[in-house]
Amino acid sequence: MKELRQILKKEFTHIFRDRITLFLVLAIPIMLVLLFGFTISMDISHAKISVLDLSKDSQSKALVEKITSSGYFEVVSYPNAESEIDGDFKEKNVKLAIIIPPHFEEQLTGEKFVTIQIISDVSDMNVASILNNYVKLILNDFTSDYNAAEGSVNAIELTSQMMYNPEANSVYMFVPGIITLIMIIVTALMSSITLSREVETGTMRMLLIAPVKKVYVVIGKVIPYMILSFISTLIIIIISVVVFHMPINGSVWLLLLLCIVFMLTSASFGMAISAMVKTQLDAMMITMMGLFLPTALLSGFLFPIDNMPFFFQILANIFPGKWFIIAIKDVMLKGSGFLDIWLYMVILFGMAVVLMAFSMTRLDRRR
Amino acid sequence: MAVISVSHLDKSYGKVHALRDVSFEVDEAEVFGVVGPDGAGKSTLFNILTTLLLPDSGDAAVLGLDVRTRYLEIRKHIGYLPGTFSLYPDLTVEENLVFFATMYQSSIKENMPLIASIWSQIEPFKKRFAGKLSGGMKQKLALCCALIHKPVLLFLDEPTTGVDPVSRKEFWEILRSIKQQGISVMVSTPYMDEATLCDRIALMQDGQIMRLDTPKNIIRDFNGHLVTLQTPDIFQLLKVMGQYAAHCTFYPYGENLHVIFYEPLEKAIPEFEVFLQQNDITHGEIEQIEPNIEDCFIEIVKGN
Repeated sequence: MKELRQILKKEFTHIFRDRITLFLVLAIPIMLVLLFGFTISMDISHAKISVLDLSKDSQSKALVEKITSSGYFEVVSYPNAESEIDGDFKEKNVKLAIIIPPHFEEQLTGEKFVTIQIISDVSDMNVASILNNYVKLILNDFTSDYNAAEGSVNAIELTSQMMYNPEANSVYMFVPGIITLIMIIVTALMSSITLSREVETGTMRMLLIAPVKKVYVVIGKVIPYMILSFISTLIIIIISVVVFHMPINGSVWLLLLLCIVFMLTSASFGMAISAMVKTQLDAMMITMMGLFLPTALLSGFLFPIDNMPFFFQILANIFPGKWFIIAIKDVMLKGSGFLDIWLYMVILFGMAVVLMAFSMTRLDRRR
Repeated sequence: MAVISVSHLDKSYGKVHALRDVSFEVDEAEVFGVVGPDGAGKSTLFNILTTLLLPDSGDAAVLGLDVRTRYLEIRKHIGYLPGTFSLYPDLTVEENLVFFATMYQSSIKENMPLIASIWSQIEPFKKRFAGKLSGGMKQKLALCCALIHKPVLLFLDEPTTGVDPVSRKEFWEILRSIKQQGISVMVSTPYMDEATLCDRIALMQDGQIMRLDTPKNIIRDFNGHLVTLQTPDIFQLLKVMGQYAAHCTFYPYGENLHVIFYEPLEKAIPEFEVFLQQNDITHGEIEQIEPNIEDCFIEIVKGN
């Protein structure tokens, strides 16, 4: 234990003597949160929806048929009551719910406006607004078809209810993304650099020859960067709550636990990368191109995963960012509890364990 | 008891055959030198003996412990000083020493007597960053770090490469004093003049030990007769010498040319003078001299 303490002390000395890096690590998150604010539109197909049909007459069935045949939607659930819809969002991962009011057919020929309700999951804002527009288009189409067949008809009025992110605020979108990227920079990048620096300067050799436990060497070097990364994450969360009024609907403790698990995963990616390379430059390039960039592009932070070509949807699974972003959004926006996100945490933790084991054996390997 | 015993050691990296059938023993409290040019296999040998590399075949035991299986025990009792500066440049001299002492489960207090004479030379700079030290100071600090856990065997891989001549001399004096404390030393160097300071040396070339003996015996057993001559234009002379390669071994030595003849000099020198005259080479007197280790090494590598 004395050795571990000494390694920690040494690593913190390195960090505090390298003022520029320390400044960047703490300043970049603040800059990113304050500057980031764009969204990218895209097309969506086969979005999962649930349909609550309270009329069950011929016209309502025709409408559902039209929605289904559009190709944009796939109805995965037909709840019987409005109270069941919330469950569909959480368990069946539907993006949108459509509620057709009772006596739909009568209303169509009646004197008042017909009201159809849409409930959408706006924790993914781009997807939600696009799906909303699709529904509007289909309803317009439906009314004009009906008009052509039956003569005059009442216009259908659409009322949308946005769930989980009622203001469609894009801050809610990118905060989880920024937390992900910052943790990858601070934990994965910094730990891969700090470990490969020891390899490059030959000090790793000195440590390998010394009778000190190799676990201490690696853990002692990585923990300081995890602490740094945790501070960065706290800064991001505090800014997003205070400045952008981002809600934390779930438990704060669960959120922090989730962040710590993801930090472990990032750190072990960094360790694994450094165990494969010989120089700091290689470590940096591989972490940026092989982890940071795919995480930015494939984690669902910038582009929705559902909309990617099949190959990339599969590829996205091996990058930890995807799982973390799903989980952190669930906790912050949907208010999900541990039971809702435990699987994601297990996936992240599993990745960490596998990669750590890989790097430890690789580091201490004699050829 | 031999502190190191190596028999029929072989190691290849892909196509490069770094060590070929290397065997030797190092005795207790001996300064054992491994001498050879870059690429001779010295570092590979050190990496195997310091338990960082595994040999392909052959056996190696350090302090009687097999390097393959009992490397964890070996690591507790050996000190290692690599050729390149391998301390933390952004930590101070003192911080480096404390750090490595802890890594070796030792403390500065405990083993101060062992390093006291070296430490006294760098102590005035103990608050300075290690990266800001001169080459010689860096190596003294590295030596302190390698000795701080009181090893019984010290490995020094080219410790004086890139160090100025004065510091090199001091460094070797330190090695002698370490030996007097009963610590065995295995040291590699590309500098031939340092080889004479070892108790025994192994001359290495292309992964093989060409010769292993005391420096004295190696010089005594020099095969041939060595002469030196001066010439105003050594490049012209070297060009011409190509035609004479069948009769001797030759190589530039500083500003002079060293020539090794295998026939008696009474016969060889007159013939050589005729050859030089034919080629219009002006030269100083051809003098017979005593060979040094470098001459021996070149003779062993180049000669017959």
